[in-house]
Amino acid sequence: MKPTVVKIDNLVKRYGELVALDHFSLEIKEGEIFGLLGPNGSGKTTTINCLLSLLAYDKGEIEVFGKEMTPVSYDTKSQIGVIMQNVAVIDELSVRENIDYFCGLYVLDKAKRKECVDWAIGFVGLEDFENFRPKKLSGGLLRRLNIACGIAHKPRLIILDEPTVAVDPQSRNRILEGIQQLNREGATVIYTSHYMEEVEQICTRIAIMDKGRKVAEGTKDELKSMIRNTESVTIEILELPEDVRAKIASQPHVYETEYDGNKLTVRCSGGRHNLIRILGVLQEAELGFGRVYSELPTLNDVFLEITGTALRDSKE
Amino acid sequence: MFLHNFKYELKMVLRQREFIMWLMLFPIVLGTLFKVAFGSVYSNTDLFQSIPVAVVNTSGDEVYKQMFTALGEGDDATLSITYTDEEEAKELLFAGKVKGIIVNDGGLYLQVSGKGIRQSILQEVVSRCNLYRTVVMQAIADGDIPLMNSVIAELSKDVKACRDVSPTADNPDVYVQYFYNLIAMVAICGSLTGLHVATSSQANQSELGARKNFSPTPKFTHLSAALLGSCVAQGVSMILCVTFLRFVLRINFGGNLLLIYAAAVMSGVLGVTLGFFVGSIGRLKYEIKSAIMLSCSMVLCFLSGLMMGNIKGILAEKAPWINRINPVAIISDSFYCLNMYSDYRRFITKIVAMAIYIGVFTVLGVLLSRRKKYASL
Repeated sequence: MKPTVVKIDNLVKRYGELVALDHFSLEIKEGEIFGLLGPNGSGKTTTINCLLSLLAYDKGEIEVFGKEMTPVSYDTKSQIGVIMQNVAVIDELSVRENIDYFCGLYVLDKAKRKECVDWAIGFVGLEDFENFRPKKLSGGLLRRLNIACGIAHKPRLIILDEPTVAVDPQSRNRILEGIQQLNREGATVIYTSHYMEEVEQICTRIAIMDKGRKVAEGTKDELKSMIRNTESVTIEILELPEDVRAKIASQPHVYETEYDGNKLTVRCSGGRHNLIRILGVLQEAELGFGRVYSELPTLNDVFLEITGTALRDSKE
Repeated sequence: MFLHNFKYELKMVLRQREFIMWLMLFPIVLGTLFKVAFGSVYSNTDLFQSIPVAVVNTSGDEVYKQMFTALGEGDDATLSITYTDEEEAKELLFAGKVKGIIVNDGGLYLQVSGKGIRQSILQEVVSRCNLYRTVVMQAIADGDIPLMNSVIAELSKDVKACRDVSPTADNPDVYVQYFYNLIAMVAICGSLTGLHVATSSQANQSELGARKNFSPTPKFTHLSAALLGSCVAQGVSMILCVTFLRFVLRINFGGNLLLIYAAAVMSGVLGVTLGFFVGSIGRLKYEIKSAIMLSCSMVLCFLSGLMMGNIKGILAEKAPWINRINPVAIISDSFYCLNMYSDYRRFITKIVAMAIYIGVFTVLGVLLSRRKKYASL
């Protein structure tokens, strides 16, 4: 069994009356890419800040690499790399100087540090921008610099707090590929995001958070198996008599139908030939229809079913 | 670790836009403006220099010639004499090259083309010469050569009573006070770099602070390296400022330039620590704190007389405690004391006051910044 890298036990954090973390517990094993998924204000960043010992908490325990995490746990901190939600680089320093400065907070040996900096610049693809100041970089390049500053010292645990916010798709893909590569090279990764597609794409295990609580945890498949929905069939149809809709709703495995005047959504639980059966009902009623597509459940469906709200509709 | 931090902090400060603007360009621009503004005042200081005058001797009287020779001799001569004929003398007068024409036709009389202090001095000289001539002629008639010589010497001595006499050790120029205030202002503007040190080390005030806080480098190392880097950068800017004022604008700060440099560097450190202390209070972002800090600096500079020369005198009369606690006033006073008083007692008092401020601001700043965890970010 792989050793535990991060252990959070019964964490409580209050801001006055507001409970930001409500008895939150978590265990992350070595080599995982662990996703913390939740809407804005669900407590992801608060969890990270408590984990890094930046934020004082009211109750609970945090262990990293088997040791209690405190502000003076310098040995433990030296093995952690953090990429914060907002870019934290120094405008007055060039790309190389920025990476060297932050790497120097972890790596004292000059020769080793130079190696690390060269590696980090290559890793994020900023070779052509080494001497640029951050203000001269585009948003995507700036994010890459932010990442390079966080990983140059080759940490064993990498924490990424929504690193792809406001990043173009090309840079986003590069960042996600980079995270997977770091993981393949041995780093354990904690990845927080409210983009479920990203979490689904790269995370080996996921915890879904809402209002400071962990509402579900497991692999993608485990999470999806927790919900009733196994398939959503969507049909573009301009006219749908009530009796036809009732007949569709009565088909085996169908547990919910939704019609907005243009589009019929049918949610099914289990079964293998749901789409064929539903289309059969429409043909029998001689109703014309447009595009038809069938989707497997997403993490949003998981979140929707567990919390009653869609992931992206949730407010802070 | 410390040296790594120090090196980069120094680089950061020296490249900061605020630093370049407020601590490098601002003193050059304002100092030059002051110099231009007070230039006419400085040019009027030739009031006690030799007065150009044309002397037309139509009588061939040698006694007067000896008197004028005595008045026109030496570096501090009262008159700068051009011996010429009447026609050329008038041309010189109308061209403004001389302030008057002294005509000797057996007695002396003065021709001037306007009114003024110099013309009055010339009138006084002519009156006295006429008076002494009578005595000298009498002495010659009596063959009393010693009396004649003593009269000439007396004449020369009397006129030299108009010399520019300094009541102080060095330069008593009131306008140099503006330049002291300018140096004090540059020092206080150093608070911006101190402010940056404080905000960039607090996780609840900047992302950079958060990044530093979760690194394995102890907070005290970050703070001390950053403070030292800022103080060094500020010290360099103060030295450059004084050098520019002294050697480019040629402002006379008096004799002890080394102590002026030392006081300037110390005042720069005071500025940095003031900013560090203010930056450590509360949770406001750097931009807001720097706006507050700059506004406060302007008020302190105003109270020390940067914008209105006599405000300091008014305060000294109405509320002397303001001058005693205003760091800008303390800084400018330190230069003033160094220049005005021949002993260092008052200067040392000001330096001690600065040292106390530096110590208090640093200790309070460190105490406020030393927290390890934050209640909120």
